[in-house]
Amino acid sequence: MLLEVRDLHVEFRTRDGVAKAVNGVSYAVDEGETLAVLGESGSGKSVTAQAVMGILDTPPGRITGGQILFEGRDLLRLKEEERRRIRGADMAMIFQDALSALNPVVSVGDQLGEMFVVHRGMSKKDARARAVELMERVRIPGAAQRVRDYPHQFSGGMRQRIMIAMALALEPALVIADEPTTALDVTVQAQVMDLLAELQREYRMGLILITHDLGVVADVADRIAVMYAGRIVESAPVRDLYKAPAHPYTRGLLDSIPRLDQKGQELYAIKGLPPNLMNIPPGCAFHPRCPMAQDVCRTDEPALYAVSPARGSACHFWRECLHGPEQ
Amino acid sequence: MAPSSEPILQVSGLVKHYPLTRGVLFRKQIGAVRAVDGVDFTLGRGETLGVVGESGCGKSTVAKLLCNLERPTAGAIRFKGEDITRLSGRALKAVRRNIQMVFQDPYTSLNPRMTVGDIVGEPYDIHPEAAPKGDRRRRVQELLDVVGLNPEYVNRYPHQFSGGQRQRIGIARGLALRPEVIVADEPVSALDVSVQAQVINLLDRLQSEFDLSYVFIAHDLSIVRHISDRVGVMYLGRIMETGRDAEIYDHPTHPYTQALLSAVPVPDPEARDRRERIILAGDVPSPTNIPSGCRFRTRCWKARERCVVEVPALAVPEAFRGGTGSAVHDSACHFAEELRVVPAQGAAEGPAQGVAEENGSGPG
Repeated sequence: MLLEVRDLHVEFRTRDGVAKAVNGVSYAVDEGETLAVLGESGSGKSVTAQAVMGILDTPPGRITGGQILFEGRDLLRLKEEERRRIRGADMAMIFQDALSALNPVVSVGDQLGEMFVVHRGMSKKDARARAVELMERVRIPGAAQRVRDYPHQFSGGMRQRIMIAMALALEPALVIADEPTTALDVTVQAQVMDLLAELQREYRMGLILITHDLGVVADVADRIAVMYAGRIVESAPVRDLYKAPAHPYTRGLLDSIPRLDQKGQELYAIKGLPPNLMNIPPGCAFHPRCPMAQDVCRTDEPALYAVSPARGSACHFWRECLHGPEQ
Repeated sequence: MAPSSEPILQVSGLVKHYPLTRGVLFRKQIGAVRAVDGVDFTLGRGETLGVVGESGCGKSTVAKLLCNLERPTAGAIRFKGEDITRLSGRALKAVRRNIQMVFQDPYTSLNPRMTVGDIVGEPYDIHPEAAPKGDRRRRVQELLDVVGLNPEYVNRYPHQFSGGQRQRIGIARGLALRPEVIVADEPVSALDVSVQAQVINLLDRLQSEFDLSYVFIAHDLSIVRHISDRVGVMYLGRIMETGRDAEIYDHPTHPYTQALLSAVPVPDPEARDRRERIILAGDVPSPTNIPSGCRFRTRCWKARERCVVEVPALAVPEAFRGGTGSAVHDSACHFAEELRVVPAQGAAEGPAQGVAEENGSGPG
């Protein structure tokens, strides 16, 4: 296994109290595999990724438990210097907002080249040549001329390509893409996702795709982990999950997508609001919003039950959910 | 909700150019951002018109023009027959009461130092005739109740609410003056998925309750389809194709609409292999330098000589003239033809909910 996160706990200490952002998350990604982590804001999907990359702000953040095994080594036990060598070379991250992730006062060529200078000890001249190659690889027109340009001189889609080029520069084994196309327009989104999928196949890297968009997930993911209030509530091969969700939250998300045969009718809506992380409901965190909740859900926290060898659901009533309401 | 014969809004030849100038002392115009470049549409009473397009296509500028937050460079906006772009003073104020806006970002569109009661009641300060002074608090509480918020919250501040609740506050403010038209500019795109449906349902309910007409601007095509009676697809300041929702989604004839629809990620892994996707090359050109002829031609796979020289009119394309069926609607393309790009409904079937055989593809 390329990456294995085991029972990770992360909390943030703030003036108002302790926010429990990640509460026992476990997932695994193999080489060549795409794992989608789906969740709304505050579900802990990005915080988990930041912990894996080692870019969590500490303080206020604090990893209070768990392991992150990368190629068998527990990253949480490594020294910062060792982690820095891994970061960029063996695992890389693509951020949502390329304009704020890139340095505005350094040309894109220098930013791309820096990877080779720092990690590979190349000369500036060789690094520049590699930067042009990379820009061509992500299909930026006129790469040889544009290598001297600054981030603001590129369009949103082109900037995101540069981010991808930077992430893939050293051919890492694992790439984490945090909402890589959310800030882009639909037609450009399709271009960028296609490029990312193509490069992933070519380099056989493991990809963690963090998103809130059920459509994007369906298009590219192999497996999917749905997060809610800092936990994985359902984990499944992508086709199984869309065909028959085994958790009421997943079902609610799928049902609230507008569908043609429901036009003019009320959309299904999950009632209520996502929980406050300082005050997560006892039992199952989803119970105040759940149409299937029973007494046991208010008191007992459900484990991630094995629905099948490849699937898990953290719902006491996953059988009822999977097979639909008995009516 | 059948639209009545007399449209409530009639927009014709709407143009908004922002001048680009150079020089401080001797200011001269060196060009213009052609944000809106000739837009026509009508909005019937009780109807919802969806406007879709990518960033920079001018859809938000259209919203601002409709609410009189910007003055158009040319063209007319008729509200019940009266051109509101020429109005000023008292007459303008009276019209503004009837066309209200709901903004995209509920975090920046509410003043953090005002209580919810003051925010929702502020329209009454500007239009005191709408509610007598002693009655305002009650009215505000009623409005909060209507949008599904606890009326006791009047003294709270925006930061005490979540995104979805804030958007409800914004909607309550929009409703305060009992407008006839609401222009909603991306009202749900800043919200979490599970909350979006709640707000869409609220807008739907309010429409029938208050007999509202909506101009609904968004980039999310599935939400626009759900809420709209008619849809206009914008590109670089112009409407490229317009028609009833089923005409646009099931029978698009303009290449841009086809590409746009095919690029939308479909929440169905089974459709991955069956889908025909049109991936457009390149980016949207700058609105300061719009291509000659058809403005879409630089990214169009069908573009020919004629597209460079001749601007296609927004009308029923020659190929379909005199025909019948859903492909017959306005499309600004010389080489318009029908192409089905959205997978049949069977594919977008939701999670297993018993048997779903009788769900055909719908009447279209």
